[in-house]
Amino acid sequence: MARFFRRRKFCRFTAEGTKEIDYKDLETLKAYVSETGKIVPSRITGTKARYQRQLSTAVKRARFLALLPYSDSHK
Amino acid sequence: MRHYEVVFMVHPDQSEQVPGMIERYSNTIQKDGGSVHRLEDWGRRQLAYPINKIHKAHYVLMNVEASNEAMEELTTTFRFNDAVLRNLVIRRDDAVTDESFIMKAEKESRERKTRYEERQSADAERASTPSSDDSADTDDDESGE
Repeated sequence: MARFFRRRKFCRFTAEGTKEIDYKDLETLKAYVSETGKIVPSRITGTKARYQRQLSTAVKRARFLALLPYSDSHK
Repeated sequence: MRHYEVVFMVHPDQSEQVPGMIERYSNTIQKDGGSVHRLEDWGRRQLAYPINKIHKAHYVLMNVEASNEAMEELTTTFRFNDAVLRNLVIRRDDAVTDESFIMKAEKESRERKTRYEERQSADAERASTPSSDDSADTDDDESGE
């Protein structure tokens, strides 16, 4: 039987002991946004619920300030 | 008195007004006994998507401690100022004074750019003055010719 051993998901923010996810930290946010600009669900990234909530508000703030796109079909 | 973080985006054509605006806004905050803890001018940045058919905006970040009245005044001035494209005000628990990630990234890219330019000019210098220490380089040039 073909069984794939997937690498165990882990929450980066828990591992690093992040206090707060900043909407200005674009490098981090970009890692949790898909190519089309959607927020990647925590079931895929393994982010803990507490940090996923912070992440979503951070991404939404960044989008409002045009630091991140809402989608890939702007213009 | 509460801590706030304010970001506002100014129309790129009105960029020259930014220092004056910062001054005015700082005054409105300070006259009520508030204070500005962090002030960052991110300069003109490319927008992730066009706003009002504009592709660039001048960003300013302020972390302030201010009274409710001062903040009310600030947001109304934002609303009635046509140069301000957008503004974001969020509450903070304490004063933030360290450099933001965007400023850091900006500085880094600027550094990289200057380093790149330096290397570029150094290369040009080396190319213009034929020297014996870079034998490999000159050999390549000769074979090319």
